Amino acid sequence: MKFELRRLGVQTRKDTELIDVTPRVQDVVAETSVTEGIVYVTTLHTTSGITVNEGLPDVEDDVMAMLQRLAPEADGYRHARFLHSDGQMAVNSTSHQRAALLGMQVAFPIAGGQMVMGSRQTIYFAELDGPLYREFVVHVIGQ
Amino acid sequence: MIDFNTHPVQIAELTEDDPALAAAIRDVFGFYVTPQPLATFLHQLDAAGIDQAVVLPLDCTSAHGATIGSNEQIAGLAARSDRLIGFASVDPNSPGAGKLLERSVREMGLRGLSLDPGLQRFDLAGPAAAEVFAACTELDIPVSVQCGLNWAPPALAVSPLALEAVLSGHPGLRLVIQHFAWPWVAEALMLAVKYPNVTLDTAILFAGTPQASVRQVLAEQVGVHVLDGALANQVVFGSDYPRVDPKRVMWGIDALDLKPATRDKILSGNARRLLERSES
Repeated sequence: MKFELRRLGVQTRKDTELIDVTPRVQDVVAETSVTEGIVYVTTLHTTSGITVNEGLPDVEDDVMAMLQRLAPEADGYRHARFLHSDGQMAVNSTSHQRAALLGMQVAFPIAGGQMVMGSRQTIYFAELDGPLYREFVVHVIGQ
Repeated sequence: MIDFNTHPVQIAELTEDDPALAAAIRDVFGFYVTPQPLATFLHQLDAAGIDQAVVLPLDCTSAHGATIGSNEQIAGLAARSDRLIGFASVDPNSPGAGKLLERSVREMGLRGLSLDPGLQRFDLAGPAAAEVFAACTELDIPVSVQCGLNWAPPALAVSPLALEAVLSGHPGLRLVIQHFAWPWVAEALMLAVKYPNVTLDTAILFAGTPQASVRQVLAEQVGVHVLDGALANQVVFGSDYPRVDPKRVMWGIDALDLKPATRDKILSGNARRLLERSES
Protein backbone atom coordinates (compact mmCIF):
# COMPACT_ATOMS: atom_id res chain seq x y z
CA MET A 1 0.00 0.00 0.00
CA LYS A 2 1.28 3.43 -0.97
CA PHE A 3 0.45 6.69 0.76
CA GLU A 4 1.42 9.94 -0.92
CA LEU A 5 0.52 13.41 0.29
CA ARG A 6 1.09 16.53 -1.82
CA ARG A 7 0.54 20.04 -0.54
CA LEU A 8 -0.55 22.40 -3.30
CA GLY A 9 -0.88 26.17 -3.21
CA VAL A 10 -3.35 28.46 -4.90
CA GLN A 11 -3.33 32.24 -4.99
CA THR A 12 -6.93 33.35 -5.07
CA ARG A 13 -7.88 36.73 -6.51
CA LYS A 14 -11.41 37.48 -5.40
CA ASP A 15 -13.53 37.60 -2.27
CA THR A 16 -15.35 34.47 -3.43
CA GLU A 17 -14.54 32.30 -6.41
CA LEU A 18 -14.51 28.74 -7.64
CA ILE A 19 -11.17 27.58 -9.02
CA ASP A 20 -10.92 24.45 -11.13
CA VAL A 21 -8.17 22.27 -9.64
CA THR A 22 -9.08 19.06 -11.50
CA PRO A 23 -5.96 18.92 -13.70
CA ARG A 24 -3.68 19.50 -10.73
CA VAL A 25 -5.28 16.64 -8.81
CA GLN A 26 -5.11 14.35 -11.84
CA ASP A 27 -1.43 15.22 -12.30
CA VAL A 28 -0.64 14.23 -8.72
CA VAL A 29 -2.44 10.94 -9.13
CA ALA A 30 -0.55 10.23 -12.34
CA GLU A 31 2.78 11.01 -10.71
CA THR A 32 2.24 8.59 -7.83
CA SER A 33 2.02 5.45 -9.97
CA VAL A 34 -0.90 4.25 -7.86
CA THR A 35 -3.17 2.25 -10.14
CA GLU A 36 -5.86 1.07 -7.71
CA GLY A 37 -6.89 3.16 -4.75
CA ILE A 38 -8.49 6.41 -3.68
CA VAL A 39 -7.59 10.07 -3.75
CA TYR A 40 -8.73 12.62 -1.20
CA VAL A 41 -8.67 16.35 -1.92
CA THR A 42 -8.81 18.41 1.26
CA THR A 43 -8.61 22.12 1.95
CA LEU A 44 -6.49 23.24 4.90
CA HIS A 45 -8.64 26.25 5.74
CA THR A 46 -11.95 26.95 7.44
CA THR A 47 -13.09 29.70 5.09
CA SER A 48 -12.62 27.76 1.89
CA GLY A 49 -14.09 24.57 0.53
CA ILE A 50 -13.54 21.70 -1.86
CA THR A 51 -16.53 20.77 -3.94
CA VAL A 52 -17.48 19.02 -7.16
CA ASN A 53 -19.91 20.29 -9.73
CA GLU A 54 -20.37 20.79 -13.43
CA GLY A 55 -17.67 23.00 -14.87
CA LEU A 56 -19.85 25.67 -16.39
CA PRO A 57 -19.65 29.39 -15.62
CA ASP A 58 -23.41 29.67 -15.11
CA VAL A 59 -23.41 26.76 -12.66
CA GLU A 60 -20.50 28.36 -10.81
CA ASP A 61 -22.39 31.66 -10.61
CA ASP A 62 -25.51 29.94 -9.33
CA VAL A 63 -23.59 28.00 -6.68
CA MET A 64 -22.00 31.22 -5.41
CA ALA A 65 -25.37 32.97 -5.49
CA MET A 66 -26.83 30.13 -3.42
CA LEU A 67 -24.09 30.54 -0.83
CA GLN A 68 -24.70 34.28 -0.66
CA ARG A 69 -28.42 33.67 -0.27
CA LEU A 70 -28.07 31.05 2.45
CA ALA A 71 -25.22 32.81 4.32
CA PRO A 72 -25.54 36.51 3.57
CA GLU A 73 -23.00 39.14 4.54
CA ALA A 74 -24.87 40.64 7.46
CA ASP A 75 -24.56 41.99 10.96
CA GLY A 76 -25.71 40.06 13.98
CA TYR A 77 -23.38 37.08 13.85
CA ARG A 78 -21.56 36.17 17.05
CA HIS A 79 -18.26 35.74 15.24
CA ALA A 80 -17.68 39.48 14.89
CA ARG A 81 -15.00 40.56 17.30
CA PHE A 82 -11.29 41.00 17.82
CA LEU A 83 -9.62 37.60 17.88
CA HIS A 84 -6.77 37.92 20.36
CA SER A 85 -5.08 34.72 19.22
CA ASP A 86 -4.73 36.16 15.70
CA GLY A 87 -4.30 39.85 16.48
CA GLN A 88 -6.96 40.74 13.94
CA MET A 89 -10.67 41.21 13.64
CA ALA A 90 -12.64 38.00 13.16
CA VAL A 91 -15.49 39.32 11.09
CA ASN A 92 -15.91 36.59 8.51
CA SER A 93 -18.69 34.49 9.97
CA THR A 94 -20.32 34.51 6.56
CA SER A 95 -17.26 32.84 5.09
CA HIS A 96 -17.24 30.13 7.75
CA GLN A 97 -20.92 29.40 7.16
CA ARG A 98 -20.39 29.11 3.42
CA ALA A 99 -17.49 26.75 4.03
CA ALA A 100 -19.72 24.61 6.20
CA LEU A 101 -22.24 24.39 3.40
CA LEU A 102 -19.70 23.30 0.78
CA GLY A 103 -17.55 20.96 2.82
CA MET A 104 -13.81 20.63 3.07
CA GLN A 105 -13.02 17.42 1.17
CA VAL A 106 -13.93 15.22 -1.74
CA ALA A 107 -12.74 11.71 -2.69
CA PHE A 108 -12.52 9.81 -5.98
CA PRO A 109 -11.68 6.20 -6.74
CA ILE A 110 -8.55 5.39 -8.71
CA ALA A 111 -8.75 2.50 -11.18
CA GLY A 112 -6.40 1.56 -13.93
CA GLY A 113 -4.09 4.38 -12.89
CA GLN A 114 -6.73 7.07 -13.44
CA MET A 115 -9.26 8.90 -11.35
CA VAL A 116 -12.77 7.62 -11.87
CA MET A 117 -14.74 10.78 -12.61
CA GLY A 118 -17.99 11.58 -14.34
CA SER A 119 -17.54 13.46 -17.58
CA ARG A 120 -19.21 16.57 -16.17
CA GLN A 121 -17.45 16.56 -12.83
CA THR A 122 -15.03 19.35 -11.98
CA ILE A 123 -13.15 19.61 -8.71
CA TYR A 124 -13.22 23.12 -7.34
CA PHE A 125 -11.22 24.89 -4.70
CA ALA A 126 -13.79 27.34 -3.34
CA GLU A 127 -12.43 30.64 -2.04
CA LEU A 128 -14.89 32.09 0.43
CA ASP A 129 -12.86 34.87 2.08
CA GLY A 130 -10.23 35.94 -0.40
CA PRO A 131 -8.00 36.95 -1.85
CA LEU A 132 -5.50 34.80 0.00
CA TYR A 133 -2.70 32.38 -0.68
CA ARG A 134 -4.32 29.02 0.13
CA GLU A 135 -3.24 25.43 0.38
CA PHE A 136 -4.97 22.13 -0.16
CA VAL A 137 -3.68 18.59 0.00
CA VAL A 138 -4.03 15.71 -2.39
CA HIS A 139 -3.72 12.40 -0.57
CA VAL A 140 -3.35 9.31 -2.74
CA ILE A 141 -3.79 5.92 -1.09
CA GLY A 142 -3.50 2.63 -2.97
CA GLN A 143 -1.25 0.23 -4.73
CA MET B 1 -8.77 54.97 -4.34
CA ILE B 2 -6.21 55.02 -1.56
CA ASP B 3 -6.08 53.10 1.71
CA PHE B 4 -4.29 55.42 4.13
CA ASN B 5 -3.80 52.88 6.91
CA THR B 6 -2.03 49.58 6.27
CA HIS B 7 0.75 47.87 8.19
CA PRO B 8 3.66 45.80 6.80
CA VAL B 9 3.09 42.88 9.15
CA GLN B 10 1.81 40.07 6.93
CA ILE B 11 4.13 40.30 3.93
CA ALA B 12 6.17 37.14 3.56
CA GLU B 13 8.84 38.84 1.44
CA LEU B 14 9.69 41.03 4.44
CA THR B 15 9.65 38.44 7.19
CA GLU B 16 11.08 35.34 5.53
CA ASP B 17 14.65 36.66 5.68
CA ASP B 18 14.26 38.76 8.79
CA PRO B 19 13.48 36.75 11.93
CA ALA B 20 13.85 39.89 14.07
CA LEU B 21 11.02 41.53 12.16
CA ALA B 22 8.89 38.40 12.46
CA ALA B 23 9.50 38.43 16.23
CA ALA B 24 8.66 42.13 16.53
CA ILE B 25 5.44 41.66 14.57
CA ARG B 26 4.48 38.90 16.97
CA ASP B 27 5.74 40.27 20.28
CA VAL B 28 5.41 44.04 19.83
CA PHE B 29 2.69 44.57 17.24
CA GLY B 30 0.72 41.54 18.41
CA PHE B 31 -0.08 39.99 15.04
CA TYR B 32 0.06 36.21 14.87
CA VAL B 33 -1.33 35.18 11.47
CA THR B 34 0.77 33.38 8.86
CA PRO B 35 2.48 35.76 6.39
CA GLN B 36 1.13 35.99 2.86
CA PRO B 37 2.93 36.86 -0.37
CA LEU B 38 3.03 40.51 -1.37
CA ALA B 39 0.86 39.52 -4.33
CA THR B 40 -1.90 38.58 -1.92
CA PHE B 41 -1.84 42.05 -0.38
CA LEU B 42 -2.20 43.58 -3.84
CA HIS B 43 -5.06 41.22 -4.69
CA GLN B 44 -6.75 42.22 -1.42
CA LEU B 45 -6.52 45.84 -2.50
CA ASP B 46 -8.05 44.84 -5.83
CA ALA B 47 -10.91 43.05 -4.10
CA ALA B 48 -11.66 46.26 -2.20
CA GLY B 49 -11.37 48.42 -5.30
CA ILE B 50 -8.29 50.17 -3.90
CA ASP B 51 -5.57 51.41 -6.20
CA GLN B 52 -2.85 52.32 -3.70
CA ALA B 53 -2.06 51.79 -0.04
CA VAL B 54 -0.07 53.83 2.43
CA VAL B 55 2.22 51.45 4.32
CA LEU B 56 2.90 52.50 7.91
CA PRO B 57 6.00 51.12 9.66
CA LEU B 58 6.91 51.87 13.27
CA ASP B 59 10.28 52.56 14.79
CA CYS B 60 9.99 51.29 18.35
CA THR B 61 13.72 51.15 19.02
CA SER B 62 13.86 52.83 22.40
CA ALA B 63 10.62 51.34 23.74
CA HIS B 64 10.95 47.77 22.46
CA GLY B 65 14.30 47.44 20.70
CA ALA B 66 12.65 46.74 17.35
CA THR B 67 11.12 48.21 14.25
CA ILE B 68 7.87 47.06 12.70
CA GLY B 69 9.40 47.45 9.28
CA SER B 70 12.50 49.57 8.86
CA ASN B 71 12.51 52.59 6.58
CA GLU B 72 14.83 50.71 4.25
CA GLN B 73 12.41 47.78 4.10
CA ILE B 74 9.46 50.05 3.39
CA ALA B 75 11.38 51.89 0.67
CA GLY B 76 12.25 48.53 -0.85
CA LEU B 77 8.63 47.46 -0.70
CA ALA B 78 7.47 50.64 -2.40
CA ALA B 79 10.09 50.07 -5.09
CA ARG B 80 8.54 46.68 -5.84
CA SER B 81 5.09 48.08 -6.53
CA ASP B 82 3.98 51.59 -7.39
CA ARG B 83 0.72 50.74 -5.66
CA LEU B 84 2.45 50.96 -2.28
CA ILE B 85 3.12 54.40 -0.79
CA GLY B 86 5.82 54.05 1.82
CA PHE B 87 5.86 56.18 4.93
CA ALA B 88 8.85 56.48 7.23
CA SER B 89 8.88 56.04 10.95
CA VAL B 90 11.35 57.48 13.41
CA ASP B 91 11.67 57.08 17.13
CA PRO B 92 11.22 60.53 18.68
CA ASN B 93 13.07 59.30 21.76
CA SER B 94 16.18 58.59 19.69
CA PRO B 95 18.65 61.45 19.09
CA GLY B 96 18.64 62.77 15.55
CA ALA B 97 15.14 61.56 14.73
CA GLY B 98 14.44 64.69 12.68
CA LYS B 99 17.58 64.20 10.59
CA LEU B 100 16.76 60.54 10.07
CA LEU B 101 13.31 61.51 8.86
CA GLU B 102 14.80 64.00 6.45
CA ARG B 103 17.12 61.35 4.98
CA SER B 104 14.26 58.85 4.74
CA VAL B 105 12.18 61.32 2.76
CA ARG B 106 14.85 62.95 0.61
CA GLU B 107 17.03 59.90 -0.07
CA MET B 108 14.63 56.95 0.17
CA GLY B 109 11.57 58.64 -1.29
CA LEU B 110 9.29 57.91 1.65
CA ARG B 111 6.27 60.18 1.57
CA GLY B 112 5.08 60.71 5.12
CA LEU B 113 5.66 59.85 8.75
CA SER B 114 4.04 57.11 10.82
CA LEU B 115 3.89 57.53 14.59
CA ASP B 116 2.26 55.52 17.37
CA PRO B 117 2.85 57.31 20.67
CA GLY B 118 1.12 54.56 22.65
CA LEU B 119 3.44 51.87 21.31
CA GLN B 120 6.57 53.97 20.80
CA ARG B 121 6.06 55.44 24.27
CA PHE B 122 6.76 59.08 23.62
CA ASP B 123 5.06 62.27 24.74
CA LEU B 124 3.18 63.88 21.86
CA ALA B 125 3.59 67.31 23.41
CA GLY B 126 7.23 66.82 24.48
CA PRO B 127 10.32 68.46 22.99
CA ALA B 128 11.54 65.29 21.28
CA ALA B 129 8.29 64.95 19.36
CA ALA B 130 8.35 68.68 18.58
CA GLU B 131 11.61 68.21 16.66
CA VAL B 132 9.99 65.51 14.57
CA PHE B 133 6.83 67.50 13.90
CA ALA B 134 8.98 70.48 12.91
CA ALA B 135 10.79 68.24 10.42
CA CYS B 136 7.45 67.12 8.96
CA THR B 137 6.46 70.75 8.44
CA GLU B 138 9.81 71.57 6.90
CA LEU B 139 9.64 68.55 4.60
CA ASP B 140 5.98 69.25 3.81
CA ILE B 141 4.91 65.68 4.46
CA PRO B 142 1.84 64.32 6.26
CA VAL B 143 2.14 62.56 9.59
CA SER B 144 -0.23 59.74 10.53
CA VAL B 145 -0.64 59.30 14.27
CA GLN B 146 -2.21 56.29 15.97
CA CYS B 147 -4.76 57.40 18.56
CA GLY B 148 -7.41 55.69 20.64
CA LEU B 149 -7.79 51.94 21.02
CA ASN B 150 -4.47 50.26 20.29
CA TRP B 151 -4.47 46.50 19.75
CA ALA B 152 -0.70 46.10 20.16
CA PRO B 153 -0.30 44.33 23.53
CA PRO B 154 2.39 46.63 25.02
CA ALA B 155 0.71 49.83 23.79
CA LEU B 156 -1.19 52.29 25.92
CA ALA B 157 -4.20 54.12 24.51
CA VAL B 158 -3.50 57.76 23.68
CA SER B 159 -6.14 60.48 23.59
CA PRO B 160 -6.03 62.87 20.64
CA LEU B 161 -6.43 65.85 22.97
CA ALA B 162 -2.66 65.98 23.39
CA LEU B 163 -2.46 66.80 19.69
CA GLU B 164 -4.01 70.23 20.15
CA ALA B 165 -0.76 71.53 21.62
CA VAL B 166 1.06 70.01 18.64
CA LEU B 167 -1.29 71.69 16.19
CA SER B 168 -0.97 74.96 18.01
CA GLY B 169 2.82 74.77 17.89
CA HIS B 170 3.03 73.56 14.29
CA PRO B 171 0.30 75.33 12.33
CA GLY B 172 1.55 74.00 8.99
CA LEU B 173 1.52 70.36 10.05
CA ARG B 174 -0.66 68.02 8.00
CA LEU B 175 -1.89 65.59 10.62
CA VAL B 176 -3.86 62.38 10.15
CA ILE B 177 -5.50 60.97 13.27
CA GLN B 178 -5.95 57.23 12.86
CA HIS B 179 -9.12 55.32 13.76
CA PHE B 180 -11.14 58.49 14.33
CA ALA B 181 -9.32 58.07 17.68
CA TRP B 182 -12.08 55.74 18.88
CA PRO B 183 -13.31 55.92 21.63
CA TRP B 184 -12.31 59.60 21.68
CA VAL B 185 -14.37 60.30 18.59
CA ALA B 186 -15.80 63.57 19.89
CA GLU B 187 -12.32 64.82 20.75
CA ALA B 188 -10.99 63.92 17.30
CA LEU B 189 -14.00 65.56 15.70
CA MET B 190 -13.40 68.67 17.77
CA LEU B 191 -9.83 68.91 16.49
CA ALA B 192 -10.90 68.36 12.90
CA VAL B 193 -13.59 71.03 12.92
CA LYS B 194 -11.22 73.52 14.55
CA TYR B 195 -8.09 72.72 12.52
CA PRO B 196 -8.48 72.30 8.76
CA ASN B 197 -5.05 70.64 8.62
CA VAL B 198 -6.40 67.65 10.61
CA THR B 199 -7.62 64.59 8.74
CA LEU B 200 -9.32 61.53 10.28
CA ASP B 201 -9.06 58.01 8.90
CA THR B 202 -11.86 55.45 8.79
CA ALA B 203 -10.00 52.50 10.32
CA ILE B 204 -12.59 52.19 13.06
CA LEU B 205 -12.46 48.76 14.63
CA PHE B 206 -13.58 47.76 18.05
CA ALA B 207 -16.31 45.13 17.86
CA GLY B 208 -18.79 43.74 15.42
CA THR B 209 -18.15 43.90 11.73
CA PRO B 210 -16.27 46.83 10.17
CA GLN B 211 -19.53 47.74 8.51
CA ALA B 212 -21.22 48.01 11.92
CA SER B 213 -18.31 49.92 13.49
CA VAL B 214 -18.10 52.36 10.61
CA ARG B 215 -21.86 52.91 10.68
CA GLN B 216 -21.93 53.40 14.45
CA VAL B 217 -19.16 55.99 14.47
CA LEU B 218 -19.57 57.77 11.16
CA ALA B 219 -23.35 57.70 10.77
CA GLU B 220 -24.56 57.68 14.36
CA GLN B 221 -21.85 59.48 16.36
CA VAL B 222 -20.45 61.91 13.82
CA GLY B 223 -23.36 62.12 11.41
CA VAL B 224 -23.39 61.74 7.65
CA HIS B 225 -24.38 65.40 7.31
CA VAL B 226 -21.11 66.35 9.07
CA LEU B 227 -19.11 64.13 6.72
CA ASP B 228 -20.87 65.65 3.73
CA GLY B 229 -20.39 69.14 5.11
CA ALA B 230 -17.75 70.25 7.59
CA LEU B 231 -15.53 67.17 7.25
CA ALA B 232 -15.84 66.54 3.53
CA ASN B 233 -12.22 67.47 2.93
CA GLN B 234 -10.85 65.96 6.15
CA VAL B 235 -11.58 62.22 6.11
CA VAL B 236 -9.56 59.53 4.33
CA PHE B 237 -10.27 55.87 3.86
CA GLY B 238 -8.17 53.63 6.11
CA SER B 239 -8.58 49.92 6.76
CA ASP B 240 -5.91 49.01 9.33
CA TYR B 241 -4.93 46.04 7.14
CA PRO B 242 -4.23 43.30 8.09
CA ARG B 243 -6.05 43.72 11.37
CA VAL B 244 -9.12 43.78 9.15
CA ASP B 245 -9.85 43.18 5.47
CA PRO B 246 -9.90 46.35 3.37
CA LYS B 247 -12.87 45.00 1.44
CA ARG B 248 -15.06 44.91 4.52
CA VAL B 249 -14.20 48.47 5.54
CA MET B 250 -14.98 49.52 1.97
CA TRP B 251 -18.35 47.79 2.20
CA GLY B 252 -18.96 49.78 5.38
CA ILE B 253 -18.20 53.06 3.62
CA ASP B 254 -20.37 52.06 0.69
CA ALA B 255 -23.26 51.36 3.06
CA LEU B 256 -23.21 54.96 4.31
CA ASP B 257 -25.51 57.23 2.42
CA LEU B 258 -22.76 59.67 1.49
CA LYS B 259 -23.01 62.17 -1.32
CA PRO B 260 -21.03 60.84 -4.30
CA ALA B 261 -18.68 63.81 -4.12
CA THR B 262 -17.96 63.11 -0.44
CA ARG B 263 -17.35 59.44 -1.14
CA ASP B 264 -14.87 60.36 -3.86
CA LYS B 265 -13.04 62.70 -1.51
CA ILE B 266 -12.85 60.14 1.30
CA LEU B 267 -11.70 57.35 -0.98
CA SER B 268 -9.32 59.31 -3.13
CA GLY B 269 -9.19 63.09 -3.36
CA ASN B 270 -8.37 63.89 0.25
CA ALA B 271 -5.56 61.34 0.35
CA ARG B 272 -4.06 62.58 -2.91
CA ARG B 273 -4.05 66.14 -1.62
CA LEU B 274 -2.39 65.03 1.62
CA LEU B 275 0.36 63.29 -0.30
CA GLU B 276 1.17 66.28 -2.47
CA ARG B 277 4.27 68.21 -1.58
CA SER B 278 4.77 71.83 -2.47
CA GLU B 279 8.52 71.42 -2.88
CA SER B 280 10.11 69.55 -5.74
